[in-house]
Order: sequence, then structure tokens, then C-alpha cells
Amino acid sequence: MKTRVLISAVSMFALISSSTTFASEDYAARFGIENDVPGMCSYASIDAKDYSGQTLNIITHAIPVMGEPTALHAKQFEELTGATVNVVHVPFGDLFQRIMIPFQTGQNAYDVLFYGSLWIGDLNPYLAPVPEKYRNSPGMQDVTRNYIDVATWDDQMIQYPVDGDRHYLKYRTDIFENPDMQARFKSETGRDLTVPATWEEYNEVARVFSGWDWSGDGNLNYGSAEVAKRDDLMFSAFISRAAAYAKHPNVKGGFFFDLETMEPQINNPGFVKGLELFVEASRDWAPGGANFGLGDEIFAFGGGQALMSYSWDDAFIQAQQEDSPIRNQVAAAPLPGASEVWNRDTGQWDSFDEPSRAPYITWGWTSAVSDRSENKEMAFDYLCFFSNEANTESDLQIGRFGVNPYRESHFDSAFWTDKLGWDADLATSYVETLSGMDSSQNRVFDLRVPGVSQFMSSMATGVASAIAGQATPQEALDGVAAEWKQIVDRIGVDTVREAYARVVALEDNQ
Amino acid sequence: MRNLLRLIKFAAILIWSAFVVAPFLWALTTSFKTANGVTSGATYIPFVDYQPSLGAWKGLFGSGGGSIDIMGPFVNSAVVTLSASLISLILGTLAAYGLSRFTYKAGPVGNADLTFFFISQRIMPPVVLAIPFFLMLGLFGLLDTIFGLVIVYIALLMPIAVWVMVDFFNQVPRELDETAMIDGCNPVETFWRVILPNSKPGLVVAGIFCVVFGWNDFFFAFTLTFTKTQLLPVAIVSLNSSVTPWWSLSASALISVAPLILVAFLVERYLDKGNIAGGGK
Amino acid sequence: MYGLTRYKLLFLLPGLLILLGIILFPLGFTIRVSFSGWDAARPGLDWIGGTNYSRLFADGRFWESLSRLGAIAFTSVILEYLLGFALALLVWRQVRFRRLTRVLFLIPMMTTPVVMAVIWRTIFHESLGPANDLLSLLGMGSIPWLTNSFWATVVVILVDVWQWTPFMFLLLLAGLLSLPREPFLAAAIDGAGPIRTFFNVTFPAMAPISVGALIIRLIEASKIMETVYVITSGGPGTSTETSSYYIFIRGLRDFQIGYAAALSVTYLVIMIVLLTIIAKSLSRYLVKNGA
Repeated sequence: MKTRVLISAVSMFALISSSTTFASEDYAARFGIENDVPGMCSYASIDAKDYSGQTLNIITHAIPVMGEPTALHAKQFEELTGATVNVVHVPFGDLFQRIMIPFQTGQNAYDVLFYGSLWIGDLNPYLAPVPEKYRNSPGMQDVTRNYIDVATWDDQMIQYPVDGDRHYLKYRTDIFENPDMQARFKSETGRDLTVPATWEEYNEVARVFSGWDWSGDGNLNYGSAEVAKRDDLMFSAFISRAAAYAKHPNVKGGFFFDLETMEPQINNPGFVKGLELFVEASRDWAPGGANFGLGDEIFAFGGGQALMSYSWDDAFIQAQQEDSPIRNQVAAAPLPGASEVWNRDTGQWDSFDEPSRAPYITWGWTSAVSDRSENKEMAFDYLCFFSNEANTESDLQIGRFGVNPYRESHFDSAFWTDKLGWDADLATSYVETLSGMDSSQNRVFDLRVPGVSQFMSSMATGVASAIAGQATPQEALDGVAAEWKQIVDRIGVDTVREAYARVVALEDNQ
Repeated sequence: MRNLLRLIKFAAILIWSAFVVAPFLWALTTSFKTANGVTSGATYIPFVDYQPSLGAWKGLFGSGGGSIDIMGPFVNSAVVTLSASLISLILGTLAAYGLSRFTYKAGPVGNADLTFFFISQRIMPPVVLAIPFFLMLGLFGLLDTIFGLVIVYIALLMPIAVWVMVDFFNQVPRELDETAMIDGCNPVETFWRVILPNSKPGLVVAGIFCVVFGWNDFFFAFTLTFTKTQLLPVAIVSLNSSVTPWWSLSASALISVAPLILVAFLVERYLDKGNIAGGGK
Repeated sequence: MYGLTRYKLLFLLPGLLILLGIILFPLGFTIRVSFSGWDAARPGLDWIGGTNYSRLFADGRFWESLSRLGAIAFTSVILEYLLGFALALLVWRQVRFRRLTRVLFLIPMMTTPVVMAVIWRTIFHESLGPANDLLSLLGMGSIPWLTNSFWATVVVILVDVWQWTPFMFLLLLAGLLSLPREPFLAAAIDGAGPIRTFFNVTFPAMAPISVGALIIRLIEASKIMETVYVITSGGPGTSTETSSYYIFIRGLRDFQIGYAAALSVTYLVIMIVLLTIIAKSLSRYLVKNGA
């Protein structure tokens, strides 16, 4: 509450002095941004609107990831427009039902929603399309192809891109570049220590660097930290691993299902291989690693316990905090690939000289306006303001906000070196990894169909039982495939196929 | 022999106290840590083991950014919990007295079945009740209101009050009722003047259970509100992000416990008063 | 006994009717929903007959979760009862620091389970938490608290015991405090030692309250959900998945509202039957044996 008093005191002062200064400098002082970038969503444009007496209800994620910027920009929006903005923060696990129950029972609970983009298959009937003027704004024109694709349903943009999320590999450069470590790796494996290009290599590196104190701080270190807690976000980690073996660059028509027959592919040899390697890697996790949620993974890599990890940006950002002991000793790389990929057309493994990579454009934070909202104009203005250039530039610099690059202009390594003091090499690896994913022709998207949570929780349960040793990978995934068939039958083959066709169209670059 | 028994007694109390306090001590020390303090392994003593920081506490009270508003939800929680508990306690005590002293018969349904009916309301997993309650409150325009929550909480809390009070009334000797009746009291007067004063420990226990279950209910507080009526548990888990900040969660957990420690002191006091009243009869 | 009926109803009806008024619609609605295919894709009350129920009977995960729940709930409730009774006896009579210890013993119950579960999870974090760290100080190896089926179950029970032993303690202490003095005096005059007094006087007098306490706790312990969700997510594999957690996953995670309703109705029926049997036999055994 103190902040609020402080901000209003500052703003009072600013209001008094505003008659004598230029408007743009004014906003910078008042709101702690660098420069107000002119445009339809800028501070000046929003300031010109008057929404006093109106209320905007927003549901968003818990603080800080996404939740904190939501609240921050809500306060600013209140001050600029006179509107009342209510924000509720919900942990990820409860977010879906909090959004879905009012929708399904016809209550107009929230105007603006922040949620995981994979739910678009379930939520699309309830969302308002983004009006043309927002789609034509310079900020939106600058959003990369991936995130326009993610926001689009049935050729209509119904999600408002506010963040770019993807899975990529993070590793410790101080170890990978250390001659002693390289020598040790070579003597144990007979090959040079390189950044893993396949998941087999990833597991091998993890094996060598597990269970001893390679950082020299007195605590044991481990090779890999992965999100493996069943009902946390483990399903995404598994897809990241399995995609390399199951997504063939030349096979069209579906990754999770064969679009023609709607036969689940989840138990094909590619996925089984992915799961076998996941299970194998579990031996090289820190103690308790099989129960690591995203939060634990972030601490394990960001805190210097683990040599490598892969998932969203958070662990990388944690490692790059000002006071982090491993700041500027990390780098980003694309997810490992596979030198043999399952081809479900021919029923054979195809070899690749250069490992084939299948970047998983994993779900991330997105936003939308409810179709029931009575304040759509204000709601879109809020989102437009949230993601205006000035706010985005400032949010990108605050790691805990969880706002990651999603516009072409964000892929500028100078930004990260100048503003955040990252080493040049590291900033380059980060920017190239991210932009490389955006230009891939072999992308994998989430299963954006109605009932996605049923499919994912069934898969996670199967994968967890394999990791726990309750079933072999093949048995576990056979079970998942059988359940998927039932789910498809319940929801309706045609409903699922129609939705999945849109995903396949994106994956096949149509 | 006597000394040995006393020693064992003290040792038992000491061990259990340590077990009770341990998570709070851990939360306390964690609340002063930063990410570095957490990720370097388990540490306990500030300044010696790790460099303490007030970041988490500042965040809670709103000067570090990313603060949550604790006071509003706190007041809401208190209002909802206290009113629902009071109503449940009054209605529940009356029903419990009836069930303890009179015989009800409606077809095959007798006292035991009625009592079980009350408590059986707590068996249903709350998950599936979310949607019907949501629809019901929506119909009356009571979603996201204090009043709507109070109604739902009455259904949650009254069963506990009934169940606890039936047992306590059963312990109060029936001779007391009979004496009062002979003195010319009607059943209501008997209940009010004689039985209730003799059931103070029961009332305290039932009351505290109502308050505890109401205060800590997370699920309905969560599903039946939108943005305006937030209760305390909901406000606290709004810090449970995908990056779990151990430190701020610890700090907020300690804050949410604080008022109830006060309640524990009050309860203990009234328990003793009840003892005196009971002993004097 | 003029007008007794009127008084009888005056006591019972307000509570009963209000409760019925609040609960009738949700209960009826749940039963109706259990015959529908309500899910994320198709909200609404279509009629699919007994499909959900036939699916449920073939759903091994549900029945496994039910037996697992039985084991977890029984173990924790019995532990809580024994510990709670022992603690109540310890601080019933004069003890130094009586107030402080009584208050201290009550506190865990006052905390929000879901918040404490997060704290416990950090305690049992296998490499960053204090549990293993302290064990290693004692020269013992580390324990796979959350990644081994047995230990994960132990942790779930331990957390439940920590949180809810105070419930038993409070109920039993209040019971002890409202016991009449005379039987104890009589026993003292007879020269009965503490152990004989306990079995002949204290325990029989406490039997009705004990039964009540055990039943309430069994009901509440069976709903254990948030603790499991936070601490293990039902893992490793499915080894700590309890019925209510499974219903939560099916209902609110998967959003299979119809199926979750069928699971709940089945769960409700099973629990009512079981609890009735348990309550009856407990009353017979404990109360009659004592009296």
C-alpha cells in the first residue's frame, strides 16, 4: 500500500509540474519508463482517454510471473484513465477452472484474462476477436510469426500477444569451457565436451557431471535439472524431449495424432524413445529431482546446482540476476535434437547427418478479452497499453516479470548487454537461440484442441509412472494412447480433428 | 519412580513442542533469505549461514514491488468467518440440544440418522460442489459477495457445530434438566440457564472449529469470488507463482498464522473457565 | 410434558431447514450432472445415462486411489487420536508452563493447510531442505522423501498428523475438562493407581467424544487434497494419489465435470456406508466396553 501512496504523491507532483514540461519526459519520470514511444497505445494516447466511473476486472497469474506486470500496468492505467481496475492473482494450477466456470455458467466475471496459450482450443468460443485497429498497431506488426500464429484461431486473432515463451537449453559455460572439465569428460567418454546436439549427448554429459562437486563450493552438483513433477508442468518437458525423435521434418499431417485417422501417435517408437531417454536421465538429477516443479528447476539451475536444464526462460534469468554467483557463466542453445527420427509414414527410423531439431513452441502467457465483457474497448486499450513499447522494454528487463522477447525488435543482443550488463557472447547466444526457433520449419505446437488438459494430464500420468518405475516406457505410453482414444471418442472425433487441423497447418507451415 | 514419570512427561512435551515449532522456525529463517540463501542448500542462522534480507517482508507490506494487499482480504476473511461461525454455532447448538434430549421420529428416520445427516454434509469432496454453488449464487446475484460466502460457509460449518455439541450435551447429566424442569423451567429456559453454562468447553471447541475451518477454507473462497471479495488464503496463494519465492511464501504464511495464535490463547482461557464452571456443579 | 413437540421442533428445525435449503440444490445438481457429459468442450446437462458410472467401475485408478486413501486416512487418524489423547492427558492436570504448552499444541491446526504444505515441501526438498541436511549432520544418509513411494506416503501422513493432532487434542482436552470430579474421587478412595483409573474411569467417560472425534477426523482426512497436490502431486507415479485428489484432477484440472460428479457420488455413497458401519461398531465396542 505504501507504493500506492508513493506513486500518487509522485503523480500529484508530476501533475502540478506537467504544465511546464513536455509530456513525454513527464511520463518517464512518473512511471519509471525510459521514453514514452508515440503510438496508439502510448502513455500519451491512453492518458487522453477518460474511463472514469468504469470498472475493469482482470484475472491473471500469481505474483510475480505475469501477475506483477499485470498489477503494475493496471495501476498505471487507473491513473491515466480514471478507471477502476480490479486484479485477481491465481496460481497456475487453478487458473483454468477460475476462467472456465464463469464462462460455462454464463457469468461475466472478468473482462481481461491472462492465461496459458494452450487453452485456446477450450476458450475460443468465449473470446472476443482483436479489433483491426489493434492488429494494425506498430507493436502488433512487430510481433514474430510464432506468436501471431499462437494467437490465431480460425484465421482470427483472438489472443493478444504479450509474451514470448519457448523451451531452450541452458548450460554452464564456465564448466563447458574449462580445460580440466573437458579433459575429464574426454577420458570418461572418449569424445570432446560439446554443447549437446542430441538428447543422447545431453544424457551423457549429465551422467559425467553428476554427483560430485564440480563447482568447488562444498556442495554436490548434478548434471541436469528438469521439470518432472507430475501435475506441475512436466508434460511440457516431456514434449521438448520427445519432439526430437517423433517430429520428422518431412512427415506432414500431425505430431500427436495422425490427422487423417486421428490415431494417437503418443506410443509410436519416437515418443517411446523420448520417454526412455527421460527415464534414463532421471538417474542424473539432483536428489528429489523426480519431484521437481518449475520452481525447483529454476533454483537448481539458476542457483548453480545443475549443469544444464531446459524449459522456459526463468532459470536462465535467475542465473543472470545481479547477485547471482553464476552470472555471465551461462549460455543458451537450441533444444538438443536427434540423429535418428521416427518416420511414421514409412514405419522406420531415418538417419540425419546433422541432428534434426524440432523446436517446441511451448505454450506461454497470453491474454484475451472476454466476449461477454461490457467494456471491450477499455479492455483492449488496457492490453494495448500493457504491451506498448515503453512498458515492454521496461518489463523485459525485470526477470521475475516473466515477460520474454516476442517482437522482432527484441532480438537485439545490444539491448541485453547495454541494459542488463550481460556478456556479449551470452547475449548473442540468447538472442540467436530464440530467433532461431522462430524461423524453424520443423516446429511443434501444443495440442491446441478442446479438452487439452485431459490429454496432457493423461500423458503426464503415464510419463510419471514410467519415471517412478511402475511401468516400462512402452507400457506407459500404450496406456496413454488407449486413454487418448477414449478422450477423442468422448469429445467427438470431428471436434478434435477440426481443432487439430489448425495446429497441423501451423506445423506444416501452410 | 515419580521423578522418572515426570521426566518422561517433560521429555514428551518437549519433543512434541519441537515438532510443532520446527516448520515455523524454518519458515522464519527462510523468510529472511534471498534466492542465493535458498539455492546454496539448507541454512539456518542468519549472518552466520547466509546473508539475511528483508526483501520478503518488505514485499508483503508493499514497498518492494509485487506486494499483495493483505489488509482488505484480512478484514473480509474475519467478517465472513465470524458471521458464518456465529450463525452456525447458534443454529447448530440448538439442533444439537434437540438431538441430545428429545426423540425425533419420522418414518424410519431417528435421532442417530438425523445427527449423521448433519455430519454427512462434510463428506462430499468440495471439488464437485463448486459448479452447483456457483450456479446457485449466480442465480441470486450473490457471487463475489460476502453474503454469498457466508451462506455457503454456514453449510460447511454447521455440521461441525452440531456434531461436537451433541457429544458434549450427551456428557451433561440429564439430572440437571430434570431438576430444572421440576423448578418450573420450560425446555428453552432449561437449555439457556442450566445446560448451556455447563457446556462451555463444548461451545469453545465447536466455536474454534468453526473459525478454523472457515478461516482456512481455500476452495470455496477461491471458486465463488472474482476480483472484489478476496479472502486471506486466496491473497496468500496469489504469491504462489511458477517461480515459488520460498521467502515471501514463508513470510506470508507466518503473517496468516499470527491472528490465530491470539485465538489459541483466548481458547485456552475459556477452556479453563469452563473447567471451573463444570467443577463447581 | 405439555407442548413438548413444539419445543422439540423449535430446537431442531431452524438448523435443519437452513442446511437443507443450502445443500439440496447442490446435491441434486451433482447427482444430475453425474448423468451428463459436461466437460470443457460441451458444457451443459445433456443426458448420457449411466455412461459415467460404467466408466468409473472400470477405472482402476479410482479404486486404487480409494484403497490408498483408506490406508492414509486410517493411519493418520489413529496416530492423531493416540497422540492427541496422550497430549491432552499430559497437560490436563497441573503442569509447568501449562498455558504455553496448551496454546503451542493448538497452533498447527490454526494454519492454512495449503500454505503449510508449501513450507513442508521446502523442508523435505531432498537437496535444499533441512530434513536431509539434519540427517547428514547426524551422520545418516539422505532419504528420498518425495521420490520414493513409501517415504512420500510417510511425508503426507506426517504433515497430516502435524496439522490435525491438535484437533484431537482440543476435543479430548475439552472432554477431559468437563468430566465430573466424583468418579475420580471415588477411584482415589478405592486406592486405584493412575493406570487403573484411566481404564476404569477416564477412558469410558471419554468414549462418546472419542467416537465423535474419530468420525469427524476420518471424514476430514478422507478429503485430503491440497496437501497431496502441493507436496507430491500424487507422485511418484500414482503412489500418493488419493480419491479426492483424483476427483480434483478429473473435475477441475481435466474439467470433466460430469465424470467427476459420478466419482463424487460414488465416493459419497461408499463413505456413508463405511462411516455408518465404523461409527456403529466403534460406539458398540468403545462405549459399551467402557460402561
